[in-house]
Amino acid sequence: MAKEMIAMLLAGGQGSRLYALTQKLAKPAVPFGGKYRIIDFPLSNCVNSGIDTVGILTQYQPLVLNEYIGNGQPWDLDRLHGGVHVLPPYQQASGSDWYKGTANAIYQNLSFIERYNPQYVIILSGDQICKQDYSDFLKFHKEKGAEFSVAVMEVPWDEASRFGLMVADEDDKITEFQEKPKNPKSNLASMGIYIFNWDILKKYLIEDEADPNSSNDFGNNIIPNLLRDNRRMYAYHFNGYWKDVGTISSLWEANMEVLDPEHSGINLFDDDWKIYSRNSGMTGHKISSSALVENSMITDGCRVNGTVKHSILFAGVQVEEGAVIEDAVVMGGTVIKSGAVVKHCIVAENVVIGENATVGAMPTDEESGVATVGSGVYVGDNAKIGPNAMVSENVKGGEEQW
Amino acid sequence: MVNSNKSALGILFPNSYDQLVPELVNVRLMASIPFASRYRMIDFILSSMANCGIDNISVLASSNYHSLMDHLGSGREWDLVRKNGGLNILPPFAEKTLKPYIGRVEALASILDLLRAQKEKYVVMADTNIAVNFDFNAMIDEHIASGADVTVAYNVQELPESYLKYQGNDRGFYYTFSIEDGRVTKIYVNPKKEGVHNFGMNIYVVERELLINMINTAYVRGQIYFERDILAPQLEKLNVHAFKFDGYLARITGIKSYFDENMKLLEDENLDGLFADAPIYTKIRDDNPTRYIKGAVVKNTMAADGCVIEGEVENSVLFKGVKVGKGAKVKNCILMQDTVIEAGANMEYVITDKKVKVTEGKELKGSDTYPVYIHKHHQV
Repeated sequence: MAKEMIAMLLAGGQGSRLYALTQKLAKPAVPFGGKYRIIDFPLSNCVNSGIDTVGILTQYQPLVLNEYIGNGQPWDLDRLHGGVHVLPPYQQASGSDWYKGTANAIYQNLSFIERYNPQYVIILSGDQICKQDYSDFLKFHKEKGAEFSVAVMEVPWDEASRFGLMVADEDDKITEFQEKPKNPKSNLASMGIYIFNWDILKKYLIEDEADPNSSNDFGNNIIPNLLRDNRRMYAYHFNGYWKDVGTISSLWEANMEVLDPEHSGINLFDDDWKIYSRNSGMTGHKISSSALVENSMITDGCRVNGTVKHSILFAGVQVEEGAVIEDAVVMGGTVIKSGAVVKHCIVAENVVIGENATVGAMPTDEESGVATVGSGVYVGDNAKIGPNAMVSENVKGGEEQW
Repeated sequence: MVNSNKSALGILFPNSYDQLVPELVNVRLMASIPFASRYRMIDFILSSMANCGIDNISVLASSNYHSLMDHLGSGREWDLVRKNGGLNILPPFAEKTLKPYIGRVEALASILDLLRAQKEKYVVMADTNIAVNFDFNAMIDEHIASGADVTVAYNVQELPESYLKYQGNDRGFYYTFSIEDGRVTKIYVNPKKEGVHNFGMNIYVVERELLINMINTAYVRGQIYFERDILAPQLEKLNVHAFKFDGYLARITGIKSYFDENMKLLEDENLDGLFADAPIYTKIRDDNPTRYIKGAVVKNTMAADGCVIEGEVENSVLFKGVKVGKGAKVKNCILMQDTVIEAGANMEYVITDKKVKVTEGKELKGSDTYPVYIHKHHQV
């Protein structure tokens, strides 16, 4: 039985700019927003848009991601026909290759797409925080009679040169593509989300693979080739919340924006567009008599005995009496011991912050960084972690790291 | 088989003790009463069985079981979707029994064919009015080692006040035991004596073949209750072994005890006692994390996901999706799923059922001996 549209989700990125957070896991598996991982967003978008077949292309550190996806049940993607499939690079009779680029990753899995014989394929990126209705995007694609469409966001003109830009006419037909140009002709930034007619996608992937000079990338190769051949290409305007959480500061910022849905536009409290995730299975969280909680998000399994202001605590975080947490993102299973001060930072999973230790600092005129502590790190009593520090090894008691 | 418990199947009685909490079972049954911020009563015993590798479990519902079926679904959250066995909800077979059964004997008599068709050697039976993290394997091991016909679990405690005060027998039966060298020598039905007792937990281990024989014999004699009619009169003939449980348990014996047992979980040691040994599973609703907005003042409170708190909350248990508006005061309350407390409302010692709405500025106060209860979907 053919599917109208299936999704291919690029989740192989290392996320090297997230440093300590992606030492042991791929970027799409990075925890976000109290109980989610980044990949929950595209997966939930798929299900909420009626897409029931998703291929997830993995490559870098896939263990956590594989285990997290499992059979896809939390996203309702455990289907008899279709559902979620994790697609790592594999050995073929002709040899084996790592995925050379985004286009090559899809090329190596053409036979997967073939099985479902879809009319359309949507290419998604596993490192963005965005709630988007892909069915609306498909409607646009069909209405325009497009062979290829790309979702674009309007960005401020002075930032435009950081993005891949689509130049489009009044009818949204793409006339030119500029990759990070010095002199932008457009402020429509590509979100890296594409809908292809399946026959077009297949044709261009095969052609691209045959080109030894190609870097096998959608932005660098496939889109320019489509333009060269005057294919019917359209730009679909998206104006909701969208964030590429590729850096520590953008990840921290996006988490903080979750705390302010009224202004930031990222509302996780949306019954009509739920974001699904694998559940921690922990009991309800507890705020004790000695605790002070302000403007924060807290989830199952947390025990809060200290002060938590403008912060996000993931499942099972323990905050001892006298500890202070402010403007911080504290991931699952981490223990903040008494007297510790944790500010303006990201603390990854299963970290212990010792008594009276300090992590990060509120920004000042001289210094404003987001301190980062990698998963499983032990920070000893009275240790000090500066606002620009990136810690992925244990820190002994009393030591300082900047 | 390495991990699954091929030697025992489970049977649960989700309607037992419904009579003790008439308010709470108006639209449900004992097993689906919400408890401890994100669970239902049945989650505890069901998860305990699943954690002990018991993966062939029948739930013998007799009435008001829609909410239970909705909660359990196919049993996936408890990892009980199995080709062999798994979770099996058995509503009454109306044509055969005509009216819903009252006692365990009738309930079991209606599934004798099913029992005969199973392969497990032992049957473990339990009610759902006790929230407990129970080690069934320890009990089965002790049952086998003792060579008993039937093993019953008990704990040592005083009888609940509501039991002592109430003189009638129309609220079902409870049992205490005299025990000598681990053997039950006498079963007391609805005793009214104060002080500490060996208090039956209505958790049993018995060989399947023996159970079938017992039920067959009892049913043709028109007997209703397993403990009163089968065990109590035959203690000399039947070797009934007592298995002592000394962990944490929360037993629901009335609306007041429901209130107290929820509140007790605000103490860390009680919460750890109930949850630390093995995971308790429940139906997942995919709520977002709970949000504390500026102006929220929260003390000594347990809350599930999906809540939005803008007001003051103290000594309370909040279930999924509760909203507490600006300036509202909630003290010593239990607010079930999706309760909405609008701005400026003032509540003390109140239990709100699911989807209750308390409108702006309203004041509602019960007392610690008599918490006010507000029915599901009602608006104040």
